[in-house]
Amino acid sequence: MAIMHIISLALVFAAALLAVFGIASAMAKSRRFALASGMVLLAFAAILSAYLLGSGANYTMLGIVHIYPFSMLFVLLFSVLMMLIEVLSFASKNFAGMQILIGFAFIALLVVPSATSIIEIFIGLELFSVMVTFMIIIEGKSHTEAAVKFFVLSAASIALFSAALALMLPYNGSMLLAPASASLAAGSAMLLLALVFFIAAMSFDTAMFPFNLWVPDVYEGASANVTATIAGIGKKLSFVALIEVLFVFFASSGSIYSPLLALLSVLTMFYGNFAAMVQKRVRRLFAYSSISQAGYIMIGVAVATQYGVEASIVQIIAHAFMIIGAFALIMWLETINIRSIDDYSGLASRSRFAAVSLTIIMLSMAGIPPLLGFDGKLLLFSSAISANMLILAVLGVVNSFLSIYYYGKLISVMFTQKERRRIPLNIGIAAVVVVVLAVVVVLGIYPEPVIHAASMASSSLFSLASSP
Amino acid sequence: MNVIAIMIILPLIALLAEIALSKRYSLTIVSISTFIMLAIVSYLLVVGFIHGSILVAQSYAYIIAPSISISLYLNIASLMLLLMASVVLFVASISGNIGAERAKLSSALMLLFQLAATGIFTSGTLIQFFIFWDIGVITAFVMINTLGTASSKKASMTFLIYEIFASAMLLFAILLIYFGTPLHTFNIQAIISGSNSMPVSAQGLIFFFMALAFMVNMPLFPFHSWLPGAYAEASTQGSMALAGILSKFGAFGLLLTFEMLPIASHYSIYVAGLAIVSSIYASIVMLSQTDIKRIIAYAAMVEMGIIALGISAFNVFGTYGALYGMLAQGLTIAFMFLIAGAIVFEFGERDMRLLKGVIANAKASAYSLVVGVLALSGLPLTSGFIADLLIFIGAYKSFSIYGLVPLFAIILMVAYMYYLLNKSVLSSRDRNWNVAYLGVSQKIGYGIFIAFIFVFGILPFVLLNMVH
Repeated sequence: MAIMHIISLALVFAAALLAVFGIASAMAKSRRFALASGMVLLAFAAILSAYLLGSGANYTMLGIVHIYPFSMLFVLLFSVLMMLIEVLSFASKNFAGMQILIGFAFIALLVVPSATSIIEIFIGLELFSVMVTFMIIIEGKSHTEAAVKFFVLSAASIALFSAALALMLPYNGSMLLAPASASLAAGSAMLLLALVFFIAAMSFDTAMFPFNLWVPDVYEGASANVTATIAGIGKKLSFVALIEVLFVFFASSGSIYSPLLALLSVLTMFYGNFAAMVQKRVRRLFAYSSISQAGYIMIGVAVATQYGVEASIVQIIAHAFMIIGAFALIMWLETINIRSIDDYSGLASRSRFAAVSLTIIMLSMAGIPPLLGFDGKLLLFSSAISANMLILAVLGVVNSFLSIYYYGKLISVMFTQKERRRIPLNIGIAAVVVVVLAVVVVLGIYPEPVIHAASMASSSLFSLASSP
Repeated sequence: MNVIAIMIILPLIALLAEIALSKRYSLTIVSISTFIMLAIVSYLLVVGFIHGSILVAQSYAYIIAPSISISLYLNIASLMLLLMASVVLFVASISGNIGAERAKLSSALMLLFQLAATGIFTSGTLIQFFIFWDIGVITAFVMINTLGTASSKKASMTFLIYEIFASAMLLFAILLIYFGTPLHTFNIQAIISGSNSMPVSAQGLIFFFMALAFMVNMPLFPFHSWLPGAYAEASTQGSMALAGILSKFGAFGLLLTFEMLPIASHYSIYVAGLAIVSSIYASIVMLSQTDIKRIIAYAAMVEMGIIALGISAFNVFGTYGALYGMLAQGLTIAFMFLIAGAIVFEFGERDMRLLKGVIANAKASAYSLVVGVLALSGLPLTSGFIADLLIFIGAYKSFSIYGLVPLFAIILMVAYMYYLLNKSVLSSRDRNWNVAYLGVSQKIGYGIFIAFIFVFGILPFVLLNMVH
């Protein structure tokens, strides 16, 4: 057990060191040092968390860091995703400055999944959104509008979350991430109110239907590497927080929030898919497509069973990689001013790599087998059916069909034949895309490791709720 | 090692070689790959003929929870379809790409289609069926979209929307079988043996969604509007693969549905009604067509209606008649599309009214077209005759005299085709066309098709003695 403690201490230490090295590289104004230190520390964190995940360790360290499969799976995922973001951001002028923000954001990414109290989750989420706001600002001059929008959204989310916290504390007597005490759990009005405030706060962050007007503007306004961070990591972090609090703290009121979340999920899927159909700009198309994907993820949360959460985790992993890959390609193509769907016409004859990899990513988003996006959707729909929520499953399947329209249209446009000059390959972005493709295709064909890890994570989370 | 596993891995290896090697080798690679498939299927046919029956089954674990295994299953039905698919794929590879346009892309797509066809006809589980179904659909979409004529973009989008709708319905039905019934399995044989334990209400729902999916794919009457565009605007290879093989996915699926769900016998009358309407409708719409590819497309639809009638007759004659019909129709329609592609290549003209003097300028194509129409009409000694005979015996047994109504559709279709042939292809002996000459590979293709059409017409017992 001692070795486990040392490893988990090393993990926390690596996260702290990442921030320190970020500051150091900003002071030295050395981009290469920033990249090298960041990649090494993140890889270190990934290896340690993979080891802890594999060993099935389950204990609380220093009373604030809970090492168990659920947290380790997400720390592993987020460190791999952060490495991709580092590579994407390396091209930016302010990369050394970005490194500080990435370092502090990673602390949030460690804190939220492994939180032992709801306060920690709250602080972690807000730390992350402040860092992202700064990222939007320093990554260019004309991104103020996006930054303001993102900040306002975070403020609204903070306000609602703290309202929920204020309602929870006096009745529960503790902020620990454990099932709510009996005085609160008996279906009281306070619990209901806290639940509604909490779901509303998380709906802002996860872009559920009535709360997602910020998404397309921020996705379009921020620079592509920051958008990839928001879409691939930020939203997923909010889902982690949502899952933790709902299935541990509110574990006994599943029958109350399940229909509410199912409704949110259905509305979000339809809204995202229908809005994506009429978009002219590729960024907005992917913004709305990611809204609909958040709706899919919500299916598993709404099902409110261990299997449903497992399905959601698989879809979270799948979509995080897919959307980062998509925005990496968008970032690359924007450097030569390819922005709207019309600009993408004939992309295949300009860069076969870009066209083919974007096609694979989009097919995976549409849930075409044998890609990772399909495995996630398969589990999601089956979890809904096995929980007897047939309508939810049908509407999910219908949405999965609707989405093929805009993905197919973009694929069709890209493979129009036109002879134009070729686009030179960007090594950094190509590397990110290749990693994403490898994950999507290889784990798509052989999803057993992902499903196994997700099932471990979800069962370890549910055991938190059942243990006193 | 299982021969079926080899058949599935084969196109994957060929695909890797295709990507790695230069354009010069692509035709060779795809020809070798499809030839090996044809050789393996012929070997299986010989083994089956000697033993009087054939059954290969093999299972590998794949995902533990929900338990999904890879199961390869081959019986007489799969063997007949594989035989048809391998002949069509082989000929399409060696002679389908007449103008040798975009050789690398078209060969890669043929290999993907080979993978889909092999996988779907040997699938032992419904999940495999679904995965290979979608691979086939996406490959066909890209085939139409990138290799088709100028107006193929719209046709390919229509095709994609219909087919993905079908696949969404199929996925829902599959998930319902696993999670909505006490069977908890995807294995087709296990479902067939345990089908009586399925609740009747669930069976009705499953039947509805499955039949819907398969009718869109075949296609039958109200779901056919993707057909003329997709078949006519695809490249020659694309049309051959679509009409010859992809439409059999649905027919094979419908056959499995009837086997899996006992309730299907209650609803078979509705499927039969749609099948009859479908073939009559297609033969009537055909009368206003003059484009050679559209005429063949509607002929394919007439024949699919008759095959669906055989399936819904749900007795030995009907079922094996339908299987033989799929074999015969697949070969004949692919043959006709090859000829149509060759004629378009030779004369640059698709309108039958303007195609005068084919007999004088391109003898091979003209005579082959005559043979093709004869085979389509179910002339004795061609494979179509055996199929029609069995199907109509089966249909008469189940639906009495109403089962014979589609004979009028055949009469109408063949009469119109003879009339057009007489007016155009065989009419003039002028040699004033500027004809592009066909390569020898197309003529070999004609030869192979004619040989197989007559072999299975004269020697039906080669296959049918395996039926018990």
